[in-house]
Amino acid sequence: MKKQIAKRIAELIIILIVLSFLTFLLMYLAPGDPAEKRLSSQGVAVTKEVLQAEQERMGLLRPFMVRYGEWLGGIMHGDWGVSFKDDMPVAPKLVSGLRNTTILAFSSLILALIISIPLGIASAVKKNSVLDHIVRILSFIGNALPNFLISVLLMYFLCIVLNLFPVVADGSLQGLCLPALSLAIPMAGRFTRQIRTEVMEQLDQEYVTGLRTRGVREKDILIHNVFHNASGHIFTIIALQIGTLMGGSVVIETIFRWPGIGKLVMDSINARDYPTIMGFVLIMGTIYVVINFISDILYHVLDPRVEY
Amino acid sequence: MKKRKAKLRKRVIIAAVFAVILVLIALFSGVLAPNDPYATNSSLIRQAPSAAYLFGTDNLGRCVLSRVLIGARTTIASTFFLVAVSFLIGITIGMLCGFYGGIVDDILMRIADLMLAFPQMVVAIAVAGILGGGLGGAMIALGITMWTSFARLARSHTLSIRNEPYITAARLQGKSGPQIMLTHIMPNILEPVLINALTQIGTTMIGISGLSFLGLGVVAPQAEWGSMISEARAYIQIAPWAVLFPAAATVITIVVFNYLGDAVMEYRKAE
Amino acid sequence: MSEYLLKINDLSASYGDEDIVKEVSLCMQPGEVVCIVGESGSGKSTLIKAIHGMSGVGITGGTIVFDDADITALPARDRRKLMGTGIGLIPQDPQASFNPIRKLDVQFREALAGHDLPYDEDRIDEMLRKIGLQHGKAVLKNRPFELSGGMNQRIAIAAAMLFEPRLLLCDEATSALDVTTAGAVVEELLKIRETNGTSILLVTHHLGIARKMADNIGIMKDGRIIEYGNTEKIFDSPQNEYTKKLIRDVPKLKK
Repeated sequence: MKKQIAKRIAELIIILIVLSFLTFLLMYLAPGDPAEKRLSSQGVAVTKEVLQAEQERMGLLRPFMVRYGEWLGGIMHGDWGVSFKDDMPVAPKLVSGLRNTTILAFSSLILALIISIPLGIASAVKKNSVLDHIVRILSFIGNALPNFLISVLLMYFLCIVLNLFPVVADGSLQGLCLPALSLAIPMAGRFTRQIRTEVMEQLDQEYVTGLRTRGVREKDILIHNVFHNASGHIFTIIALQIGTLMGGSVVIETIFRWPGIGKLVMDSINARDYPTIMGFVLIMGTIYVVINFISDILYHVLDPRVEY
Repeated sequence: MKKRKAKLRKRVIIAAVFAVILVLIALFSGVLAPNDPYATNSSLIRQAPSAAYLFGTDNLGRCVLSRVLIGARTTIASTFFLVAVSFLIGITIGMLCGFYGGIVDDILMRIADLMLAFPQMVVAIAVAGILGGGLGGAMIALGITMWTSFARLARSHTLSIRNEPYITAARLQGKSGPQIMLTHIMPNILEPVLINALTQIGTTMIGISGLSFLGLGVVAPQAEWGSMISEARAYIQIAPWAVLFPAAATVITIVVFNYLGDAVMEYRKAE
Repeated sequence: MSEYLLKINDLSASYGDEDIVKEVSLCMQPGEVVCIVGESGSGKSTLIKAIHGMSGVGITGGTIVFDDADITALPARDRRKLMGTGIGLIPQDPQASFNPIRKLDVQFREALAGHDLPYDEDRIDEMLRKIGLQHGKAVLKNRPFELSGGMNQRIAIAAAMLFEPRLLLCDEATSALDVTTAGAVVEELLKIRETNGTSILLVTHHLGIARKMADNIGIMKDGRIIEYGNTEKIFDSPQNEYTKKLIRDVPKLKK
């Protein structure tokens, strides 16, 4: 088992290296010259001499692999480069953005689980009941709603029609509600559907009858056995949703002006600030890969029958 | 069992009818649109829905109904195009990998694994952002990761039939690899991969309109639902119809295609 | 109070389409052991399932009276209280009994808590020992998927006996066990009847076990009990042609 984990960690490291390489390649292949981008994003008039001096200064004239190695070395030492826009180091911006994004993502995830776990279990237990039909329709629609649409609709109905929330999320708790809800609704739709399927599958297992014939309380059967056994799958489902959550948070943060990493990257894209975009891709990719790695391990802990 | 099958069949037909209607609306939106979707009119800014403008007008006095209709073409056509291209690339790669195996299979499948290791929307936003917007850029950005699911599916189905007697027979007849793939393998693996494509339509639509909403897809003034909502949300207090109608169109379309995908999947499973 | 613990009247049951159990009537006194013998597909397992009221078996006709109470359509809540302590079940499939991925001691604790009974590891250990499972306490630290089918079956039997039910239903309870263990289980079942006055309804295709245990035997074919009587009578002077054939076939198999 330790050997298998070691193997998985080795794989993880390889994936992370490839991730960093692809990120660097992406910027390398990006249309336009970084030196020119940097100069123009700072409003400097670009002449041939200025450009060449800038290329020299930024080290753009050296071979690709050397530049990649240097960049990766810098990343390892916490030097994530300097923003084209304002010459400030990228790392602190990313860190503070990531902090806010984590708060947002975490709250929306919790919110989605609070909604979907009871609904998913209830509709699986009361299969084909009125409740089940309502839950299925709602989760189907929730799943079909793009994040941006939900947030615009929530903003319209809750902020403007009902006047309950501030329109701009300023990082306060009240400001957190709408963005978190916007992210949570489609996720809750997806989770509810999947939890319902998983729980139904478990309920069909013979051990459930076995426990019932012994008079185990229904509550214990559902929570400690059915949901317990389904939770391995459910964790995987959640981990796979992290990617969608990351993409969604870019949209939501932009709409609500939540000072997270998603809003930072959109600002950077608009300013063609490549070092920040690279940092964003690298951080999000790493988090995603690591979370999926952890969920694999967790799956094994929750259902020890499953091999790595 | 038969009753259930008939019921599921009915669901598929109903969903398909709605989907076809949507596609027809998109195809004939030019004829259906009551007004020129790009004609601005400064005297008709943000008019509430009326007989002349059923969905009202937007900030530039453009007819929202016409723009929603034309937007249908942009959204639906680009979604279909993207899914179709990813499907073709994916199924080709998948068949090649499954049929020939060996080192090509190893390399391509490793790449597919790697693609799956990245969060799709993050990659899409970064790539579309670097490509500098435009519908083409958005489609490339989404397509980079999309082909992988088709390739994996096509590969596993190819693997499961490649040693069937009729394939061996074709080989013994001296047919070439590509010939066998086209005439024997493809017809047999087409269905599951096509169904997978169908289920991807909703997500792809969300992706494209999401990128357009961020300004990384369709460029103004071209009508597309995501970008229309993005534009109009600035004045949603004054003219909510300019947001609500494209929003409703988006939801209805995604719901219809998701429903169709689910219905077809369940129908197939019931067999 | 009637003299019968279990009274089944014209019971028909199905899984949705055709009746698998057809108009079966059966009465059991306290402490009585009844074996239902039949080939697979005769409906004997379905009969057990209909009595304990689970596994999606629908009762399409007749009544089941347990301890003077009609339990034919008992609400789930009341049925739960009855299961285990009132009616116990030893299932056919050892996998069917426990959650395969949770430790057994937790599962025992949960089952006992369902009847507000304390968890007593020594008692469980003793029960396990009686049916030939040593190191019971260590075994309880395992998850069922880590144990063999035979072990799981013995644990399931111990779990059913632990509650000292008034009626014990056994669905091919020994089919997963080897001959010696099966013998030990049969002994233990008989001992439980002796000490607690437990009634046992056993379903089997194994005539030897039926002969050893049963006071009365019912022969089941195509969903109906075609012959019923006390064990000696069934073996010595079977009336029905099918019963005769069944009894005749036993020695042939042993050759």
